[in-house]
Amino acid sequence: MRINAMAGAAAFVLCVGPAQAQALKFQPGEGAQFTWSSYDSFAAAHDLTGQVLTITGPWIGPDKVLVESVLAYFEAATGAQVNYSGSDSFEQDIVIATEAGSAPDIAVFPQPGLAADMARRGFLVPLDDETADWVRANYAAGESWVDLGTYADADGTEKLFGFFYKVDLKSLVWYVPDAFDEAGYEIPETMEELKALTERMVADGGTPWCIGLGSGAATGWPATDWVEDMILRTQPPEVYDQWVTNAIPFDDPRVVAAIEEYGWFARNDDFVAGGVQNVATTDFRESPAGLFTFPPECYMHRQASFISTFFPEGTELGLDADFFYFPAYAGKDLGTPVLGAGTLWAITADSEAARVFMEFLKTPIAHEVWMAQSGFLTPFAGANPKAYGTEALSAQGEILTSATTFRFDGSDLMPSEIGADAFWKGMVAYSSGEDAAAVARGIQDRWDAIR
Amino acid sequence: MSPLIQGLMTILIGIGGCVGYFWLSNLLLDRVIFPARGPDQGRNITRANAVRPWLFLFPALAALGLYLVYPVVGSFWRSLFNRDGDTFIGLGNYVALAGDDGFRTAVFNNLLWVLVVPAAATFFGLVAAQLTDRLRWGNLAKSMIFMPMAISFVGASLIWKFVYANEADIGLINAIRAALGADNPVDVIQIPFWNNFFLMVILIWIQTGFAMVILSAALRGIPEETVEAAIIDGANPFQIFFKIKVPQIVGTILVVWTTITILVLKVFDIVYTMTGGNFGTQILPSYMMSYMFRDDGRATAVAFVIMILVLPVMAWNIRQSRREMR
Amino acid sequence: MAGIAGRGTRLGWVINLSVLALVILWLIPTVGLLVSSFRDRDQISETGWWKAPFAVEQTYRARVDAGGAVAEGTGFVITGNVFEAAGVGSGQVTAFGVTGRDPAAFAPGDMAELRGGGMLTVAGDGSFRATSPEEFGRRGPSIYFQAATPPKFTLDNYRRVLGADAMDRAFINTLTVTIPATIIPILIAAFAAYALAWMEFPGRGLLIAAIVGLLVVPLQLALVPLLSLHYKVGIGQGFLGIWMAHTGFGLPLAVYLLRNYMAGLPRDIIESAKVDGATDFQVFTKIVLPLSFPALASFAIFQFLWVWNDLLVAKVFLPSTDEAKVMTVKIADDLLGSRGGDWGILAAAAFTSIAVPLLVFFTLQRYLVRGLLAGSVK
Repeated sequence: MRINAMAGAAAFVLCVGPAQAQALKFQPGEGAQFTWSSYDSFAAAHDLTGQVLTITGPWIGPDKVLVESVLAYFEAATGAQVNYSGSDSFEQDIVIATEAGSAPDIAVFPQPGLAADMARRGFLVPLDDETADWVRANYAAGESWVDLGTYADADGTEKLFGFFYKVDLKSLVWYVPDAFDEAGYEIPETMEELKALTERMVADGGTPWCIGLGSGAATGWPATDWVEDMILRTQPPEVYDQWVTNAIPFDDPRVVAAIEEYGWFARNDDFVAGGVQNVATTDFRESPAGLFTFPPECYMHRQASFISTFFPEGTELGLDADFFYFPAYAGKDLGTPVLGAGTLWAITADSEAARVFMEFLKTPIAHEVWMAQSGFLTPFAGANPKAYGTEALSAQGEILTSATTFRFDGSDLMPSEIGADAFWKGMVAYSSGEDAAAVARGIQDRWDAIR
Repeated sequence: MSPLIQGLMTILIGIGGCVGYFWLSNLLLDRVIFPARGPDQGRNITRANAVRPWLFLFPALAALGLYLVYPVVGSFWRSLFNRDGDTFIGLGNYVALAGDDGFRTAVFNNLLWVLVVPAAATFFGLVAAQLTDRLRWGNLAKSMIFMPMAISFVGASLIWKFVYANEADIGLINAIRAALGADNPVDVIQIPFWNNFFLMVILIWIQTGFAMVILSAALRGIPEETVEAAIIDGANPFQIFFKIKVPQIVGTILVVWTTITILVLKVFDIVYTMTGGNFGTQILPSYMMSYMFRDDGRATAVAFVIMILVLPVMAWNIRQSRREMR
Repeated sequence: MAGIAGRGTRLGWVINLSVLALVILWLIPTVGLLVSSFRDRDQISETGWWKAPFAVEQTYRARVDAGGAVAEGTGFVITGNVFEAAGVGSGQVTAFGVTGRDPAAFAPGDMAELRGGGMLTVAGDGSFRATSPEEFGRRGPSIYFQAATPPKFTLDNYRRVLGADAMDRAFINTLTVTIPATIIPILIAAFAAYALAWMEFPGRGLLIAAIVGLLVVPLQLALVPLLSLHYKVGIGQGFLGIWMAHTGFGLPLAVYLLRNYMAGLPRDIIESAKVDGATDFQVFTKIVLPLSFPALASFAIFQFLWVWNDLLVAKVFLPSTDEAKVMTVKIADDLLGSRGGDWGILAAAAFTSIAVPLLVFFTLQRYLVRGLLAGSVK
C-alpha cells in the first residue's frame, strides 16, 4: 500500500512537470534583458527528473511567492521537484530541525552568524573551491562575499559554506512623493537636513516617522539596523568592524552614542506615529502603512529595500511611494556609507540535487528572474542590470554601487545569541524607555557569558 | 502518503498493538508459562496473579519512565555541561543564571504568576459557583464561564489582543478610555510591572471555569443541615457563605489551587504570543525558550529550576493522595 | 432548601444581575474575535468590532488622469467620478479635500482651490469638475474624499486563511497529531489504572504516589533530552515522535483519573465475577472497562483539548516546514508575523483553530465535568 502510494506520487509529479513549465513567470526566450542562453545551457547539462529538493528559508507570504517563482525555473530546467517552506522563526526552527536529523537539503540563512554557528557544529556541507573562485571573479567586491560565507568547520578548518544570493539594501528612507510635494518638503541630502526636516514636519503639525519593531519571535531587529546605520554615520568603518567582532565592548561610549542617535528619532513622542509606546509593538510589516493613510500618519519610514513588498496592494513605486538614501552627516568626513544584508544559501544535507541547485544560482537567469520582479538586488556582474523590473530597483542598484563604504548588517554577523536575541530584546527595552548604557551593558554581559 | 492516512494507520497499529499486547501476554501467561492445570495448578494461579499486574502496568510504566522520569535525570545531567555539551562545568550554568538580571526578572514574574493566578482563578471560580448555584439559568451561565477552557492559549492570546490593542479602533480597553475622554491610547502590554497582570488576566479568564465547576460540585456536597442550622440561628448569606460553607470545602479549594499552580508553571504560550518576553514580562518557561537549542546546558538548568519550584506542590500532592488512600 | 437566591427578591435580582455581568465579561473577548473574523479588513482598522453594524467612514484618494482634460473657454476642464477614479464601488461623498493632510476640508459642492491655481468641486454622488487656467501637468490633481460605506460582512478572511495562508493544511496536521495522541494513551492507561485499582501487589502504593508526583513534572524538562533521544533512535522530528511524546506526557493524568474512578466502582460486582472464575483480563474488559466509560470519555476530552491546543510540544517535536505545522504554531509563528496587523486574518485563523475544541466542549461538556470531579474531588 505504501509502495503504491509512492508510485502514485511519482506519477503525479511526472504529470505535473510540464504543467509547471507553463507556470513560469517569464517565458524562456522572450525578453532581451534576460540571459536565456544561460538557462538553456543549464537545462541541457542537468537532468534530475524524479528527485526532490527541500529548501527551508525565512520567506513567507509575498516573499515566498517570489522565491518560488525562481525555483520554478530550476524545476523546469532539471525536472526536479522543489519543496520550499518558510517560517517566521526560521532561526530557531533550522537548529531544531538539524539537531533532530530532519534537516532540509538546503537552508537559506538570513543570518551568517547562525550559519557560522551551524558550520562549527558540523551541520553544513562545505562548497567546493571553484565556487569560491567563481564568487571572487563574478561578484562585485567578491572577496568580501567569500569572507562572509567562509567559516570554521567542526575541526576548525576555514571553508566556504554559504553562497550569497539576493542582497538587500538597508540604508533607505521611504516616503510618499505626493505628501512631500503637497507639504513642500525637499529630499534631505545630509543627516543635518534630515533632522531639520523631522523637526519641521512636527512644527507643521505632522508626524515625521513610522517605526515598528514587531516581528513575532524576532521582535526588535528593525532597531538594530537603525543603530548599525548610525554607527556607520558617526564612526569610521573600522569601529564598526571592531564592534561586530566585540573587539570593542558593546557598551563602548561610541556605540552607546549611536544607540542614542537612534533614540533621537524613536524616543520622541512627537517624532513617531502613535507615540513612543507604539514603536516596540507595531509589526514592522504593518508599520509603513502609516505613509499611505489620509491624512498621513507619518511621512518617512527607514527600512531595507524589501519593505516595498509589504506596501498596500496596487502601490506603484516611483509614483505612490519612493525612497531616498538615509543620508550621512555633512559635518563628519565619513563619505556615504551603506548598510546591507543578504541571504546565504547553504547545503544542510548533501545530494546531487543540492549541488546542482548551487550551480543554478551561478547562472545569470537565476538572478534576472527575481530582479525583474521586486525586492531583489545582486552583486553578480554577469546579471544584466537592465533586467531590474523597476526604476526603483535600478536606483537602489546605483546606491549600492556608489557607496564609499559597504558594511554587512552587523547583527547578522554577531553570534546568534547576541545578534538574534540579546541585541533584539535590548533594542526593544531601549525603545520602550530603558537607559542606553544599561541596555548595552546587558548585551555585553550576555556576550561575555557565551565565551 | 498523506499524514491523515498515516495517522489512521497509526491509530490502527497503535490500538491493534496495545490490544494485541495485552491479550497475547495474558494468554501466554495463563496457558503457557503458568498453566492453570496439572499438578501445580494452585501454585501456578498464584504465580500468574503475581506477574499479571506488571503485564498490565508495563506499557504505561515504560512510557512514563522514558518520557517523564528519564528526562528529569537527563535534563539535570545535561545542565551540568557547557553549551556544546562536551565539557562538564558542574553547577556553572546555575551560577551563571543566578548572576543574570533576565533570569531574576523571570523568577520574580513567575512567582507573581504563581501567587496571583491560582488565587484569582479560585476566588472568581468560588464566587461564580456560589452565584450560579441556585439560578434557573445557572447551567447556561456556567457553560459560558467554563468555555475558555476549550480555547488554546494561543487562541486566547489573540482574543485578548482585541481587548488590549493599542488602538482605540481595535482594542476594547482603549476604546473605553477614548469614550471616557482620554486623549492617547495606552499600550497596557508595555506598562512596566502591571503588564504582567494584564497577561495573567488571560490565564485567569481560562482557569476560572475549571475552578468554578469543581467548587460548585463541592458546594453541592455540603450537608444541608449545617446551612439550615445557620439560617435558623439568623446568619446572613455572607456569613453562611464564608463561615459555614467555605470551611467545609477547604480541601477542594486547595486541590483546585494546586492544580492551577502546576499549570501556571507550565504556561509559556501566553507570554510568547503576547510580548515575546519583552517589556519585563519574561517568565521562566519563555526565558528557557531563548536559550533552547542555542545553549542547551543553560536551557536545561532553567527547566530544572522550574522543577525545583514545583517540588513543594508535588510533595503536598503526594501526601494528600496517600492520605486519601488510607 | 431555601438557598441564598430564594431569600427575598431584591437579593435574587442582585445575584441574577451580577451573574449576567460576569457572563458578559467572560464572553465579550470571544464575541469580539468572532465578529471581527467576518468583517471587511479595511473596516476593521477603521472602527471597533462593537460598531460593526454601522456604516464606516473611510478616506480615499482619486488620481485624476490629466489625459481626460478638455480645453474650455480660456482654461482646461476635467470631469469624472471620484469613485471610478479611486477604484472603489460607489457611495456618498461626505467631504473632500485637495491635500492628503486635510482630506476632509470641504463639504460636497464646495469650491476648493487647487495648488496649481485651478478650482475643484466634488458633488455628493462623487462626480467632480476640476478647472485650470493652464494645462494640467503630467499627473492630474489628486482628489481626497471621505465616503461612508455600509457595514460589510464577508467570508473573505476565512477564504484567505484557509487558502493562501495554508491554514487548511495546518488544520489537517492538527487533526493528525491529535487523534492518535488521544486514543493511544487511553488504552495504555486503562490497563495500568485497573492494575493499580484492583490488583494486589507489592509496591502498589508507592507506584500510585510516583504517578501523582509525575503529574507535576514540568514539560520543559522533557524537551531537550527527549528530542536528542528521538534523534539518536532515528525518529527525529515528525508525527511518530509527537504521538509518543503526547502519549507519555498525558499518561500520568490518564492513569490518575482512571484509577480514581475505577477504585470507586462497587467492590461486589468485581469480586463476585472473580468468584465465578473470571480472570482479571476478563473482569477488566467485560466489567470495568464498560463501567468506566464516563471516565474514559472525560480523559479523552481532556487529552484532546490539551493536544489540540498545545504549542510547545508541537514547536519542538514537529519539523518547522509548512507541511508539518499545526495550527497553534502556524498562528503563533507565521500569521502573527506575516499578518501582524491584519486583524481580520488573525481573527479568522484563531476562530478556525478554536472551532473544533469549542464544538467538542459544548457537546461533551457533561463528561468533562464528571471526569474533572472524579480526578479532583473524591
